[in-house]
Amino acid sequence: MSSGDHGWKREEEDEADQEIDETSYKTQKDAILLAIEVSESMLEAPPASSSKKADRDSPVQAALKCAYHLMEQRIISNPKDMMGILLFGTEKSKFQDDNDGRKGLGYPHCYLFTDLDVPAAEDVNKLKTLAEDGEDEDEVLKPTSETVSMSNVFFCANQIFTTKAANFGSRRLFIVTDNDSPHSSDKASRSAAAVRAKDLYDLGITIELFPITRGDEPFQVGNFYEDIIYHENFGEANSTDVRSSKSGDGLTLLNSLIANINSKQSAKRALFSNVPFEIAPGLKISVKGYNIVHRQTPARTCYIWLDGEKPQIAIGETTRVAEDSTRTVEKQEIKKAYKFGGEYVYFTSDEQKTLRDFGSPAIRILGFKPRKAIPIWASVKKATFIFPSEEDYVGSTRVYSALWQKLLKDDKVGIAWCITRSNAQPILAAIIPSKEQSDDDSGTPYLPSGLWIYPLPFVDDIREIKAPGELAKSSDELTNQMRTIIQQLQLPKAMFNPKKYPNPSLQWHYRILQALALEDEVPEKVEDATEPKYKAISKRAGGYLEDWWETLEKEAGNAKQAKALKRDPDEALPERPAKRSRAGSEKPSGSSLNQAQIKAAVENGTLAKMTVAQLKDVLGAKGLSTSGKKADLVERIEEWVEQSV
Amino acid sequence: MAEKEASIFIIDLGSSMAESNHGRSESDLDWSMRYVWDKITDTVAANRKTLCIGVVGLRTDETNNKLQEDEGYENISVLQELGPMGMTALRDLQSSVAPSSSSTGDAISAIVVAVDMMATFTKKLKWTRKIYLVTDGQGAMDADDVDDIAKKINDSNIQLTILGVDFDDEEYGVKEEDKSPQKAENEQTLKTLANACTDGVFASIGEAIDQLDLPRVKSVKPYKTYDGSLTLGDPEKFPAAMNINVERYFKTHLARPSGASTVVVKPEQGGSQSTETVDGGDMEGIEFSAVKQNRSYKVNDADAPGGKRDVEFDSLAKGFEYGRTAVHISESEHNITKLESVKSFTIIGFIPWNKYELFLNMGEVCVTHARKFDEKSELALSSLVWALNEVESYAIARLVTKDGKDPQLVLLAPHIEPDLECLYDVPLPFAEDIRSYQFPPLDRVVTITGQTVKSEHRFLPSDDLNVAMSDYVDAMDISTYGVDDEGEPSEYAPIEESYNPSIHRINHAVKNRAIHPDGSLPPIPPILLQFSTSPEDLLTKNKDVIEALIEASDVKKGKAKGKRRRDAVKPISGLDVDALLGDDKGTISPENPVPDFKNAIGTTESESEIEDAAKQMGDIIRALVTESFGDSKYDQAMECIGVMREELINIEEPKFFNSFIRNFKKALLSGTLGGDRRDFWFKIRYGKLGLIDKTQADTSDVTLDDADQFYKQR
Repeated sequence: MSSGDHGWKREEEDEADQEIDETSYKTQKDAILLAIEVSESMLEAPPASSSKKADRDSPVQAALKCAYHLMEQRIISNPKDMMGILLFGTEKSKFQDDNDGRKGLGYPHCYLFTDLDVPAAEDVNKLKTLAEDGEDEDEVLKPTSETVSMSNVFFCANQIFTTKAANFGSRRLFIVTDNDSPHSSDKASRSAAAVRAKDLYDLGITIELFPITRGDEPFQVGNFYEDIIYHENFGEANSTDVRSSKSGDGLTLLNSLIANINSKQSAKRALFSNVPFEIAPGLKISVKGYNIVHRQTPARTCYIWLDGEKPQIAIGETTRVAEDSTRTVEKQEIKKAYKFGGEYVYFTSDEQKTLRDFGSPAIRILGFKPRKAIPIWASVKKATFIFPSEEDYVGSTRVYSALWQKLLKDDKVGIAWCITRSNAQPILAAIIPSKEQSDDDSGTPYLPSGLWIYPLPFVDDIREIKAPGELAKSSDELTNQMRTIIQQLQLPKAMFNPKKYPNPSLQWHYRILQALALEDEVPEKVEDATEPKYKAISKRAGGYLEDWWETLEKEAGNAKQAKALKRDPDEALPERPAKRSRAGSEKPSGSSLNQAQIKAAVENGTLAKMTVAQLKDVLGAKGLSTSGKKADLVERIEEWVEQSV
Repeated sequence: MAEKEASIFIIDLGSSMAESNHGRSESDLDWSMRYVWDKITDTVAANRKTLCIGVVGLRTDETNNKLQEDEGYENISVLQELGPMGMTALRDLQSSVAPSSSSTGDAISAIVVAVDMMATFTKKLKWTRKIYLVTDGQGAMDADDVDDIAKKINDSNIQLTILGVDFDDEEYGVKEEDKSPQKAENEQTLKTLANACTDGVFASIGEAIDQLDLPRVKSVKPYKTYDGSLTLGDPEKFPAAMNINVERYFKTHLARPSGASTVVVKPEQGGSQSTETVDGGDMEGIEFSAVKQNRSYKVNDADAPGGKRDVEFDSLAKGFEYGRTAVHISESEHNITKLESVKSFTIIGFIPWNKYELFLNMGEVCVTHARKFDEKSELALSSLVWALNEVESYAIARLVTKDGKDPQLVLLAPHIEPDLECLYDVPLPFAEDIRSYQFPPLDRVVTITGQTVKSEHRFLPSDDLNVAMSDYVDAMDISTYGVDDEGEPSEYAPIEESYNPSIHRINHAVKNRAIHPDGSLPPIPPILLQFSTSPEDLLTKNKDVIEALIEASDVKKGKAKGKRRRDAVKPISGLDVDALLGDDKGTISPENPVPDFKNAIGTTESESEIEDAAKQMGDIIRALVTESFGDSKYDQAMECIGVMREELINIEEPKFFNSFIRNFKKALLSGTLGGDRRDFWFKIRYGKLGLIDKTQADTSDVTLDDADQFYKQR
């Protein structure tokens, strides 16, 4: 296949995976501006404690560490997205290093520590110095004695977003503060702040509040922030609550803050929007699709121009040219041709469109099956989460909820024909409910509850398996020993939690890049959570593994003989790989009897004189069931002799 | 699969084949050829030298065969000698397959001709040999030597398939009533011959044609994805650790529609020279030229016009992005970011079945079984499979398929069938692969005041709805709705019967186009749409249940876009922020254009004020573009245009936007906004921010066509 084919294919795949927003003119990027309040109380260190686990960070420090953590993570997970850090309440003021340096004067006590942009290595380093090493040479973390105007802070954020992240699909202002009532006695300032906050709303900037509380004093959102924060989406009026971060319950302030901020780390972007979900003929609701599970891969290599002052990434542009004349080709001229019998069969672009057209987007339920009807191997692609939206069909949420509850209760799945965007390839999918996150039985508390589109394979996707033929079968004893091992080695909480397993190659890739970018030392090895805990395995199941191994050695010896016996009359078999052999079992075993001996035993009636163990051996060696009483075993052997003789 | 295969088709071209029978609109020949063309085009599509085809015409006007010296071989013509089949051969054949004016020609003799051709071509070599006879059984035939011929066919290992037009076929359930005695006799003769052959088939062509509708699934050779040991514990340090020799193959692998090449039609060249080929291959009669991608590279340069300049590809080094920092990686260290990993397949722990959810599956599945002829591994794996099955558990394992490959996490599930004990493995997500999006709960509503409502809310199902949904789901069970071959109830829409519509739609159309280059696209074969809707009779049966569900759901199509009430937008507290605004409503400042514009539009009903706001916004947009250094302010301008367009659609005043964008386009293309701004016009076109047409706002006087034209015209 020519390289052109591949290019086209990849294009198509990428297209299918791209996340969209309702408005196509916007850039599909996310910008986060983290606004951290600097005040006496925010700088106050926690009370000294001798406990190792005790909190040592002041809220500002915790917030900065958290910002550092977030920045590192977003470089990996959202390499194209922007982030900035704005400190407010500082004595110093600083704004964008623009042409005219006077701009900072417009926003007193706002210190733009990291300008909104895709973070550069220097930004990471600078933040690390301040957050992790606690070095503050420029004394930026010195609070002002004056009152900070919140309306000014909001307008400052407005300007940062408008200039640096213009036309972004997602822009978010994260506010970290412990002050629940700024301007408590100044109504005019409060009103001014509300007006500026509304401007942010009009700009499509979402404000996420991360309140910090200390002691038992709750953060009163009602005092000030209720006039500032808007519901994110009128389609989902049922909003999520504001969670405050605090130290205590064995959790440091930092951890609690990281947990809260991490949950908002990536902007919620829809994979598809308002697709009709046809639950029954004549009953449509609208849903949005989300890519909750998505394989994160290292960024591709890029080309770097080294001849300038500092290395720069060269931006590639593709033009299509005709191979014969190297003339630039316009999009309209391009045709798709299929190779057929050494020739091209082609279709006009209209025909090509028709070929891909299987109707307008829809998720249409055909009927329902028990969940068990979907075998574990019926998997080809990751699943997509869908969630109702009231935008096209009023009442979607309740119908979706009813379906979700019913499927969960009866352990059923829907089978649906899905075209999730125009011209997408149709698929058959199972509609599977996920359990409530708080449900103790849920194996996936880290995933939202709702319905998932789980793509099912077509018959074209199934590969034929060449069964290896007759196999030696484990005896009950061997199986039982393995059972014990399995029971001993359950994962914590008896569930698989992906959050515990960072991707080792991805982590390594970025760890090295970071070291190279910051000119740090390249590490020898990084922790790999996916490696088995060998010590724990030996400790918890070592003895059982030894038992199992011994039985295996014994049975393997028998099975080999039995198979050799069986195969004897046939043509010679290829040499088998040599095996480690231990001294064979001393005891005479049932499986060492050859067919003629067994036959003789059946005829003489001496079979019943054999021990149960010997009988089981005989049966096991023939791949027959070894369960049941002695009489059953004898009968089974007699049957086998009749059939095989 | 790489078997060599030779097939000869004997096609009855007698004059009677031109007739149409039994209500068919096609002639018998065209109808029968559906089957033959399908078989032949399959071969053409495969494009393999070892698939050979020969065609013999029966009851032709001429006589042209090697045995024609002898008596009884008249009116038999070899239309194509055995050989590989290409498009040219296909076209030649198409023109020669037409009804003749003869009525005589002996089908049995034609078979002898074919057997002779086969013997000459395949000699004693290893071939799969097939002869097909397609006839309406109207020509006289000599039945004397049938036994000898059958023996010859069997000796040569030939599979003979006789397909007759309207032949009686009990199994298929057809019987032609008014059959001529001649045809009845011939049918009997041919049936005797087919039965005398070891590999003989005698059937009605109708049955064969029916089966063409079943899409053919391409079979792929098993692909081994891992061959090594499966371990539990560390065999290096702990001798009793589990260590099983296994082999792993694909169980599912996403099949994709055949890829198309991107081509352009070659411009007419003066005087036809030697035919150029597309990619150097031996392609016939091509009027296309392949499309190549040319890449050029640019870097930012403040001194260059437009802020960017081209750089030579050869001057570039390879590297990665870390944030926006370019990290250069020298040639000698190109592997430095690659994790060094060692081939292994090792279990890290176990989880119960009920704690795993299918939607965590990340993709294609493989099957692992013990290495062949290794009893100890067979036993060991058998014990693992049975034990997992008995305690209803899965294993979680870390897999590195080859040294240096990225580690994966997989779920191992036991599977037992009579001749196979194996583990299926499914790829699992890592921490980075899970995105923590927040969604509101589904079974309760948290109100603004923080109260939790568990019932009686428009977002929550009523009891009626819950009952109706439950009845519906129960009624629409399809796990036993289908019918299997024995007529027993079985699963509806099982995987084995669901064909990928995209793949087979394209294959079908390509094949069709190859045979009929000038025909229109064929419709989608119905079998590809069989699972696009619920089974009709199930729906009919449950009409009442469905109606009850629709009623209880009470879903209403969302309101059509109309004048949006501005005052609906309020912060959580419900504060009327607009009331706090000062007197400067209506002024749009360059620093805060978007909110100012929204305020201005939202707080006025007067057309002149709207016009004024649109004008101010237009000035700001023009200023942004004019001031923009290169594309530095394009995004800001795009945002303003987008907001302006959206807002004016919402309040149904499209004319102000349309007049703006018309003038703006002119200005962009004529270069009056600070130089060449065509690139900005492309952005507008790409973002679909052109004229507001009638479908977007009722009050627009611009048709959809006009709006399209607006984008296209320069």
